[in-house]
Amino acid sequence: MNDLAIHTQGLAKFFGKTRAVDGLDLNVPRGSVYGFLGRNGAGKTTTVKTLLGLLRPTAGSAQVLGYDIRRDLVAILERTGFVPENKTLFDSLTPAQLVRFNQGYFPKWSSELVERYADLLEIPMQVPFAKLSLGNKTKVCHLLALCQGAELLILDEPSVGLDPVITDLLLRLLVEDHVSEGKTVFLSSHQLTEVERIADWVGIIEKGKILLETRLEDIRQNYRLIRAAAETAPAVSSPDLVAVQSSDNFRTYLVARAAEDFAAMLRAKGMTILEILPVSLEEVFLGLTRKEVPCIPGKPGTIPVPA
Amino acid sequence: MLLHVNTSSGVPVYLQIEGQVKQALAAGALRQDDALPSVRRLAAQLRVNPNTVAKAYQNLEREGAIRTVPGGGTYVADSSPGLLKSEKVRRLRPVARQLAVESTQLRLAPGDVVKLVEDELDGLGGKR
Repeated sequence: MNDLAIHTQGLAKFFGKTRAVDGLDLNVPRGSVYGFLGRNGAGKTTTVKTLLGLLRPTAGSAQVLGYDIRRDLVAILERTGFVPENKTLFDSLTPAQLVRFNQGYFPKWSSELVERYADLLEIPMQVPFAKLSLGNKTKVCHLLALCQGAELLILDEPSVGLDPVITDLLLRLLVEDHVSEGKTVFLSSHQLTEVERIADWVGIIEKGKILLETRLEDIRQNYRLIRAAAETAPAVSSPDLVAVQSSDNFRTYLVARAAEDFAAMLRAKGMTILEILPVSLEEVFLGLTRKEVPCIPGKPGTIPVPA
Repeated sequence: MLLHVNTSSGVPVYLQIEGQVKQALAAGALRQDDALPSVRRLAAQLRVNPNTVAKAYQNLEREGAIRTVPGGGTYVADSSPGLLKSEKVRRLRPVARQLAVESTQLRLAPGDVVKLVEDELDGLGGKR
C-alpha cells in the first residue's frame, strides 16, 4: 500500500512541439489537502487530465491511489471525484437527471449528501444544464464529485463563477465532510488565499515542471523575505536562496531556510539588513514565477543573482 | 467560541488559534471546564485544515491550558496551569524582551512601560 494518493515520475505530455507537462514529479500524500498552483498555461489542467486518462502521457509514469494510470483507469475513476476546469456536463440533462445518471456508476454514492448539498448550495435541480449560469454549473460539478463517495477529490479551478458566500460554504463542506474523513483533496487553483486556508501541502508548477513542493507549514516557519541595502550589492549564492528582486540600492532575498545565517552572510559582505519578514504563499508564488526573476525550473536554489 | 483567522498575515494559523484561545482564557471569556469545539467543528467553522486546529490544541494541552478527554471532547483545564514559576518566567521572557527592545527604541521611560503593562493587566478584569 502506497502512502501517496498521487505519485508521478517524470510525467510528460507534449502537444507537437509544446511541452505542456515536461518531466513532472508529484508526491501527494494520502489525506492531505494539496494545492497545485501555477500560472495560466503552466500545465495544471494537462496534468490533471493525464492523471484521469483524458490524455495519454507522452512519457513518464503515474499512480493514482496506488493504481497505474495506463493499466488501472477504471479503478482510479471509481475512487476519484473530479471537477473539470471547463465545467461541462450533458447539456440537455437537468441536475436531477445527472445525479440519477451518475449514481449508478459509483457503489459508494450518497443520496443523503446529494439532498443536503443541493439544498445548501441552492442548486436548481430541474433546469437543463445548458441553461444554468456558470456558477450553478460549477456547483453541479461539485455536487456530483462530492457525493460519489470518492477517496480522492481532484478539483480543477473549483471556485470559478462562484460568489464568495458559496465559495466559503464549499470550503466548509470540504473540510467538514471530506478532509476530516481522511479524504485527499487535490486542488488546482490560482486562488492563493483559498489554498492558503485549507491546504497543508503545496506544489508550484511552471512550464510543466515542479518548482517547489513542500508543506505549507514549512513556508510559514522557514521561508523568509530579507530586505537589505548596499551601494553595490555583492554577488551571493546559496542553496537556500529562492528568488531575488532588486531596485536601486535595495535587494529583496527570498530564502527557503536558515534566514538568520543568510542575513549574517549578507552583513559580512557589507550589506545592511533592513528587515527579515515571514512570507505569505502569494509572495513565494510570485517570487518563483514572476517574469523578471529568472529561475531555473526544478532547481529553485540555483537562481543566478542579477548583476 | 468565536475565533477569527487571517491567512495572509504571515502568522501561522495554529499560532493565531492558540493566541485567541489564551486571550479568551485571560479575559475570562472561557472558564474552567468550558467545552471547546471539536477539531473537526472548529476547522469547518474557520475553513482551515483540521491538522492546523489539532496542532493548536496539542500545543495548548502541552502548556496545560486545556485538557482532552479521550473520546469525550476538549475542555478548559484547571485555571492555574500547574507549571513551576521558573517555567512560567521562561515562557514569558521572549515577550518581555521584545517589549524592552521596542520601548527602548521608542525612548519610553521604564516607569511608563511598567504602567502600560499594569493597565493591560487591569484591563483583563477580575481574573488575576
